[in-house]
Amino acid sequence: MRTSFQDELNLLESTLHEEGALVLRALRGAINALEQRDHELADEVIAFDDDVDERYIAIEEGIQSLLARQTPVASDLRLVLAILHVNLHLERMADYCVTIAKLSKLVPDVEPSPRFLEGFEEMGARCEEMIKIALDSFAHRDLSAAESLVTLDELVDRANRHVVEQILELGEAHKLREYGLRMVLVSRSLERIGDHAVDIGEQVSYLLTAEFREFTDATHPTSRAT
Amino acid sequence: MMTDDVTIPIDVGPVETAQERRTPAPEQREVVFDVQDLGVTYGSATAISGVNLAIYGNVITAFIGPSGCGKSTFIRCLNRMNDLVAGARVQGALLYHGQNIYGDGVDPVEVRRRIGMVFQRPNPFPKSIYDNVAWGPRVLGMKKGLDERVEKALTRAALWDEVKDRLKKSALSLSGGQQQRLCIARAIAIEPDVVLLDEPASALDPIATAAIEELMHDLKDQYTIVIVTHNMQQAARVADMTAFFSLQVGDGKRTGVLVEYDKTDKLFTNPADKRTEDYVTGRFG
Repeated sequence: MRTSFQDELNLLESTLHEEGALVLRALRGAINALEQRDHELADEVIAFDDDVDERYIAIEEGIQSLLARQTPVASDLRLVLAILHVNLHLERMADYCVTIAKLSKLVPDVEPSPRFLEGFEEMGARCEEMIKIALDSFAHRDLSAAESLVTLDELVDRANRHVVEQILELGEAHKLREYGLRMVLVSRSLERIGDHAVDIGEQVSYLLTAEFREFTDATHPTSRAT
Repeated sequence: MMTDDVTIPIDVGPVETAQERRTPAPEQREVVFDVQDLGVTYGSATAISGVNLAIYGNVITAFIGPSGCGKSTFIRCLNRMNDLVAGARVQGALLYHGQNIYGDGVDPVEVRRRIGMVFQRPNPFPKSIYDNVAWGPRVLGMKKGLDERVEKALTRAALWDEVKDRLKKSALSLSGGQQQRLCIARAIAIEPDVVLLDEPASALDPIATAAIEELMHDLKDQYTIVIVTHNMQQAARVADMTAFFSLQVGDGKRTGVLVEYDKTDKLFTNPADKRTEDYVTGRFG
């Protein structure tokens, strides 16, 4: 038994879950900052990204060292590769949270309808749920939970379309159009966070089955996780 | 500047992928050895039993496994080297190009001419570099063009440039890595079909090891190469196919068995058997 190798691998995985927990906090902060027009909170979310990056870099360095010294194979190799990918997905999610926080500060003085904010709240909550499921499916090596992310992602996509429809109905005024543009980007960021959660699910699938596969395929949109 | 009336055609024809350019899969090649239910006993002790596998031509096949799992015993069956061990008995069939090499009337010397072997410790004869390589061809009466034959073998073994000016010097003056390449040159000088290597790099430093690995890779277009190695990473680096042998304990006896045999890629990324997984990931024992 290679004890130090296992310890290093365990440390990498627990750091990954730490990073995931930070992303969840960043997402909640970004949504709250947007809904409550809280610029201070938005600044906190932006600064908080350094904490995520710190974990991201620690994992990258850890994997580099592990590959150079330990030559992992079989399920160990798949775990290392999956961590490498999931790390990047989480870091991207955190970047989208920063984008949402920045956009929330750029909003001119427009009073959005509660329905509109409900849309973001719904998308945010669904993304949080997806991140949790993605991380749990990784932690528990749960393939069916990982595959369930596809269905959840469809709900986020649908909510995204609703938000965009509402934005189109905002009105002609310059202020409203500018606001609408910013909100399209917020919606798009949330939608992308959902996509990254599905990508994490795909890594769980790779880890467990050793097969590289996409749960959904843009050129064959009817294909679904089996 | 692009104008509206200029269109850039998009090539939508089929694109050859890198995968397609790769050499054919090992199992699409000719079967050189067809091993059927092979077992070896030394007196009352069973070294290996129930081994079934096919070894393919012009690829490198590696045998890995813990000490005592029978991988060296197995490779020695492939050219009847076990005949030389007192009390060794081989059961089952070992077909070489369809012919049972343990069948009646098969001359073990002829078997070993076609299936050469290189051992763990370099074992050159205490003769000149030239004579080491020329020895086999001379014994077999391949005396015509001997100088060219020696040069060709040394060149194939990636040793010629290092020794061409001192062919009459003793082979024992060479470094360990050079001696091992000399032994490979000696093995291929008689133009065998198969080269068996039993831990060929375990006594060598990393540079000499890398040279031997590179050499194996170069030789496989002409020979079928079978290697036993302790070093799993060496198998992962050089072999196309890998067989994992392990020890099965039962009735107080330990018997070597073939656990898994597959493409090296598969064995080191997604082994089918838990015992293989445990061994290659270092969780064994």
